[in-house]
Amino acid sequence: MQQTASRKGGLELSMLWKVFGGILFVYLFLGFMVLPCLNTLTSIFATKDAAGNADPLAVVRFFFAGNMPSFVINSLKLAVCLVVTVNVVGISIVLLTEYFDIKGAKILRLGYMTTLIYSGVALVTGYQFLYDSNGMLTQWLIQVFPGMNKQWFTGFSAVLFTMTFACTSNHALFLRNAIRGIDYNTVEAARNLGAKPFKVLLKVVMPTLLPTLFSLTVMTFITGLCAMSAPTLLGYNSINPEIVRLAGSSAADEAFPQARAALLSIILALFTIVLLTTLNHYEKKGHYLSVSKTKAKLVKQKIQNPVWNVVAHVYAYVLFLIYMTPVVMIVLFAFQNWPAIRAKSLNVSSWTLINFFGTQDYSYTTSRGKQRVREGVISGVFSNADTVGGIRLSFILSALAAALACVIVVIAVNYIFKHRNKKRAAIVEACLLFPWLLPTILICYSFRIFFNNDVWYVLGKNLYYRENVRFLIVMAYTVVKLPFALRMVKAAFYAIDDELEDAARNLGASSLVTFLRVKLPIVLPSVLAVFALNFNALFTEYDMSATFHSSYGKSYAMVIQSMTAEEGRDGYNMNGSGRRCASTVFIMVISGLILYLVYGVGARDLGERLERRKKRRERWAKLTGKAKAA
Amino acid sequence: MADLRVKQPKGVKLDHISKIYKDPKTGKDFYAVHDVDLTIEPGTFVTLLGPSGCGKTTTLRMIAGFESPDEGEIYLGGEPINALTPNKRDTAMVFQSYALFPHYNVFDNVAYGLRLRKVDKEEIKRRVTDILALVELSGMEQRMTNQLSGGQQQRVALARALVVEPGVLLFDEPLSNLDAKLRVQMRTEIRRIQQALGITAIYVTHDQSEAMSISDNIILMKGGVIAQMGSPTEIYYRPNSEFVADFIGECNFLKGPISDVSMGEACVNVGGVDVPVATDKSVRVGDPGEIVLRPEAIAIADTGLLPCKVELSCFMGSYQNYHVRVGDTLVKITDNCPINKKIFHVGDNAYISFDKNCAHLL
Repeated sequence: MQQTASRKGGLELSMLWKVFGGILFVYLFLGFMVLPCLNTLTSIFATKDAAGNADPLAVVRFFFAGNMPSFVINSLKLAVCLVVTVNVVGISIVLLTEYFDIKGAKILRLGYMTTLIYSGVALVTGYQFLYDSNGMLTQWLIQVFPGMNKQWFTGFSAVLFTMTFACTSNHALFLRNAIRGIDYNTVEAARNLGAKPFKVLLKVVMPTLLPTLFSLTVMTFITGLCAMSAPTLLGYNSINPEIVRLAGSSAADEAFPQARAALLSIILALFTIVLLTTLNHYEKKGHYLSVSKTKAKLVKQKIQNPVWNVVAHVYAYVLFLIYMTPVVMIVLFAFQNWPAIRAKSLNVSSWTLINFFGTQDYSYTTSRGKQRVREGVISGVFSNADTVGGIRLSFILSALAAALACVIVVIAVNYIFKHRNKKRAAIVEACLLFPWLLPTILICYSFRIFFNNDVWYVLGKNLYYRENVRFLIVMAYTVVKLPFALRMVKAAFYAIDDELEDAARNLGASSLVTFLRVKLPIVLPSVLAVFALNFNALFTEYDMSATFHSSYGKSYAMVIQSMTAEEGRDGYNMNGSGRRCASTVFIMVISGLILYLVYGVGARDLGERLERRKKRRERWAKLTGKAKAA
Repeated sequence: MADLRVKQPKGVKLDHISKIYKDPKTGKDFYAVHDVDLTIEPGTFVTLLGPSGCGKTTTLRMIAGFESPDEGEIYLGGEPINALTPNKRDTAMVFQSYALFPHYNVFDNVAYGLRLRKVDKEEIKRRVTDILALVELSGMEQRMTNQLSGGQQQRVALARALVVEPGVLLFDEPLSNLDAKLRVQMRTEIRRIQQALGITAIYVTHDQSEAMSISDNIILMKGGVIAQMGSPTEIYYRPNSEFVADFIGECNFLKGPISDVSMGEACVNVGGVDVPVATDKSVRVGDPGEIVLRPEAIAIADTGLLPCKVELSCFMGSYQNYHVRVGDTLVKITDNCPINKKIFHVGDNAYISFDKNCAHLL
């Protein structure tokens, strides 16, 4: 009887938790995903004419009458061109390092993979450092060709060039894995049957890569369509920068800016949904999987024709130079003082750490000929209040959002697995994947507009007001990162043997104890990896920061962007270039460390980790033994 | 052997239990287990045997509490347990995949159940050490589970289940991941430990030789229902259906009408020859008859009961394997220790004969 009573009590408590969890989930889904986006959708048709009468189709008419289509066309143009250039460069770098026997392939691969740790706003500002009107390369080119346009690195071509090299990191990861998965025996079989090397590449190797290439193409197209940092910084009128501009505009300046921004973001969403649906449909057809039970490792192919061999080597190293030059230059200039950076000349005597730590005074002559000194305005990344503030804010917001996304997803995935094959599990999963269908800009724009009012279900607060914007950024970061976290954590949960849970329950553990002490420790490495990857992506992310930009929400990416402003006039933005270089180095170190921890340490199997731990302990015991003996 | 405390073993009663699932393809309900009614005595080793999909694992999981019966009641030690969650039942299970916690070492895996029961630390240490000694894993406490061989992992799983002193020990095909030699060794070990501790054990397998060698009683299942229950010898020599006879070991069936019935004996007319067979069944002359004959119960010689033609003759080391044709029926013969016997070759004419007590009338 007692047992029945305690069981009843236990049931009531667990039911209470379930109801609470359910209500919270619905609140978060409706409140932070559906309602803001719905508001954006309806705002398109909520326009009024000059007389104050409702005119639902005003913005649609405006769209066709004004210059709005040009933003869409520009974005499409960028996306289409990007698909071509990224695939050409991406396939090239993978074939050159994985398929063909190119001398120095390991070094080349390292160069091609730099975009993994050097991307986003850091990459764009890095390219600017080299190629913009004051850029090092531009200065050098002007000396050679005095008549050339020093503004050459702006607009469409600059965006295309920058994004081409920024977007090949997916090829470097996924296409590389795909080509490594090819069974070499199929290549040998084709050769054996009389196919020439180029024919083998075209008819045997490439077709097996097609599914991966298709996925990469769709992802590249979406990236091009939703491009933000490169068009903003390099001056190209595409959809995203326009949405951000309109979001900050008022009806006093131009005709219904919010409705126009909403229309553009919905257009973007429609494109994204169509593309992702196509991709999903295609992926369902499955990939070509080798049926070989004794798969042979791919052997690199020597290019027999000497001319083509030389051409391939030259091409490989030219690409390597394009990839590496900005990285090397930025690293070198990160340790040069302000005058050296300004003169774009490398000098051992100009070596300094001022771009990272410490401050210096700046003396200058005013237009009236007076000598002035501004104290401490030449400052390093970690000494500049603005930069440190940006780093701190980005660090906290990114860490909070990455952690929140992990917590939500782990609890949800546990629920999904517990109720798999049931409709409610499918619904929870669909809700978490919802943001995947929407462009980031739509979510952020919707948040900004919707929460820039007193909203009843967030305690009647305006979340875009003053410090509240930080909470809004955390929520936006979290929402945007949910689909990725879900896919990764779900994969980790698949690795848990169902019988482990049964075993724990059978030995007397409750559901909660089973989750905390059995399942969570097993998926924890993957969850930490998801946390690290999300943190890495958010720490320097630009698109969302730009949408939520305010003096209370100035993230690190925005601070980096502000470093590109003109330096030196009356001591304003002094040493911005130095800090920009140092910031890039700092970001590369952080990203490199995170990627090493996730893919390096995290990829080791348990046995390997235990072996290393054992060795470490032995070494430690030896050391402490020696110390004690001493 | 280590000094282990053994709790009073518990009996299990399944009172007309059924489990209904929905077919994912047709969407229709079907019985995975239908009206299973049986009693397992305390301290016995009972095996649920049957082909894939016969409902044996579902039955075991219902006893463990991972599935709940849609009909009927389960009793453990006389107490109804349908309403209890798995963690509240006095059972411990050894899983097919062992289900060892990869993030714990051997000691922590075995101690897991004791810690949940808030057993004193010293007591945990003593009991884990004792049980590891019993399964011959002393000295491996600190090893991680991936540093163990398959057999050692199996022993850890067994130790983890035993250490909590369950009323009933459940095994879900625990040896299926081991190689043949180790499987034989481990099943002997399991039986030894079960007998030493006197614990009630319910064992699921589809391997009939494993079931025969290890069990006090076998419950043979087919299509969610019990096909036959009994001791291994009973099931082997006195099958109640063609399915049971065929599932347990190799079998021959000789069919024909009953030609004569006398006290404890009947004759089946096989191809014009009256073949006597001992039986206690009530049959009448003219009824259809079917004799079940094990291959090792048949002798082949130049003279005998039924004429046959040899279609296969194969030396297998300890025995000679024959396939002979008796009328239209193919009969398999295992002729043990053939070294001093005449070997028949393909195409030879011969006779088969057998002891009427070694044959069984279905």
